[in-house]
Amino acid sequence: MDHHHTTLSDRLTFPEENRIATGFFAAGIIGIILSLIGLVVNTEQFFFSYLTSFAFIASLVLGALFFVMVQHVTRSSWSVVIRRIPETISFQLIWLGLLFIPILFGMEFLYEWTRPERIATDELTQHKLPYLNTPFFIIRNVIYFAVWGYLGYRLYKNSIAMDLQTEVAVLDKKQRILSAPGLLVFAFTVSFASFDWLMSMDSHWFSTMFGVYYFAMSFQTILAVVILLVLYLFRKGLLTNTIKKAHMHDLGAFLFGFTVFYAYIAFSQFLLIYYANIPEETLWYYYRFDGSWIFLAYLFLIGRFAIPFFLLLNRKAKTNYKLMMGVSIWIIMLQFAEMFWIVMPILHKGAISVHWLDISLLLAFFGISAGLFFRQFGKHSMIPKNDPLLSESLNKH
Amino acid sequence: MSTKDKPYGVLAEFDNPADLMDAASAVNKAGYKQFDTHSPFPIHGMDDAMGLKPSKLGWIVLVHGLIGLMGGVALQVWSMDIAYPVHISGKPYLNFPAFVPVTFALVILLSAFGTFFGLFKMNKLPRLHNPLFNSDRIAKATDDSFFISIQATDPIFAEKKTIEFLKEIGATHTEIIPES
Repeated sequence: MDHHHTTLSDRLTFPEENRIATGFFAAGIIGIILSLIGLVVNTEQFFFSYLTSFAFIASLVLGALFFVMVQHVTRSSWSVVIRRIPETISFQLIWLGLLFIPILFGMEFLYEWTRPERIATDELTQHKLPYLNTPFFIIRNVIYFAVWGYLGYRLYKNSIAMDLQTEVAVLDKKQRILSAPGLLVFAFTVSFASFDWLMSMDSHWFSTMFGVYYFAMSFQTILAVVILLVLYLFRKGLLTNTIKKAHMHDLGAFLFGFTVFYAYIAFSQFLLIYYANIPEETLWYYYRFDGSWIFLAYLFLIGRFAIPFFLLLNRKAKTNYKLMMGVSIWIIMLQFAEMFWIVMPILHKGAISVHWLDISLLLAFFGISAGLFFRQFGKHSMIPKNDPLLSESLNKH
Repeated sequence: MSTKDKPYGVLAEFDNPADLMDAASAVNKAGYKQFDTHSPFPIHGMDDAMGLKPSKLGWIVLVHGLIGLMGGVALQVWSMDIAYPVHISGKPYLNFPAFVPVTFALVILLSAFGTFFGLFKMNKLPRLHNPLFNSDRIAKATDDSFFISIQATDPIFAEKKTIEFLKEIGATHTEIIPES
């Protein structure tokens, strides 16, 4: 029967002659050189731009880790053929800690609670010092990166090990045993990491929803990234018989769903603060709505929720590859813009101000991360070829 | 069983899901529109084999959702700004962020109504008795057998020809279903 393909008919390795990783590395190195010049020229701007790009890239790799763990915990069969992509992205978590180290040297610029003269005059910050102090900040971040690095590394290595053997039931079980507590630990670490990296920049401000806000943004974006990577593979003629329209439809439905989830979380955080109208809470939004920054806030409401919502609403839209590519690129760009909107109003009050360091550091981070991804992706099979649920995934309608 | 009256349709039995799928495809290609398949479990790809068009339900739900959206906004603009303007912690009367939860809830409520009653109507409910149950064999559709029924109201339905056609495409048993 022709409606039952159960065998793989595509090549499973990324072509060696593809030089995309080298291209990304080259772009990344140019970005690094430019940024190092910027570090000397404008140190304060450098660290703010650095944190923006770091938070952007971190949100992608963390979103990928969550995606992989959810698929294991739910034993999803639909996602098996695309799972190696987020797996390879979350493997990059082993490097994320290294990228965080420069931020430790810029803490006096980024975090007002590290400045002694500020602490001396500010009673509210004094009360927060048991949590917001440099040694504890470093200890917490070491824990985050150790946990994420371990999860990303282990899940990827187990999956690769499955490719090489036929007796996979034990490894498959291991993935699930790792993922279930992994999700719980992920929820705590990502929440606290977002508190530490971004929320503590305003040491007075707090929002208990900030962790889930960061997560909602990152998960929406990683779905766009996975869609974009699959479409890139299609363009190169890879996996065209393995990943079918049905898989792309589900990814599109996921993107649609988490577009709504993002809007729900982002708006809920705003509404609660708006309605309660307590000065120390509203100040965060005050700076981010001040002057031309308000345009970015409206851009997120319309561009990151309303437009993708209506574009992706129709069933056919989710398998319209050109449309999906456009929406995915747009959402990834807005994710960077939203990180910019969270970080930068502290440095540039009252007006949007784009510095060339924002671009050069984005180039550095994106180039190196994408280069590392493609280098790793080329090393092994592009799909988990011995996964016990693979044939079910290939049969997806 | 009287065959004098106009029958409801014919029922054909098949051995397995694959045969049913091929038969459904053949019935569709032959030009029949008013037919249905009955199996103990959902069969992937059956919609395509039967040539079913995507359901219109989505559009019904969309329209209801939009009515909920506009109704929700209208309700709050009227009550909060026109009919009963009340100062609430120094906020404007036209306080759109605060309108969102109620509007959102009304979109959900109206969409749910649209889904429920839309399905109700499209499935021709309420219906107390389906003539197919006049057959003794149809009960096996919940156990171990696979059926196609073609209704007599179909423009190209012709009792003998249809039965012959069904036998040709592999039906192991056929019968005429009376209207009542």
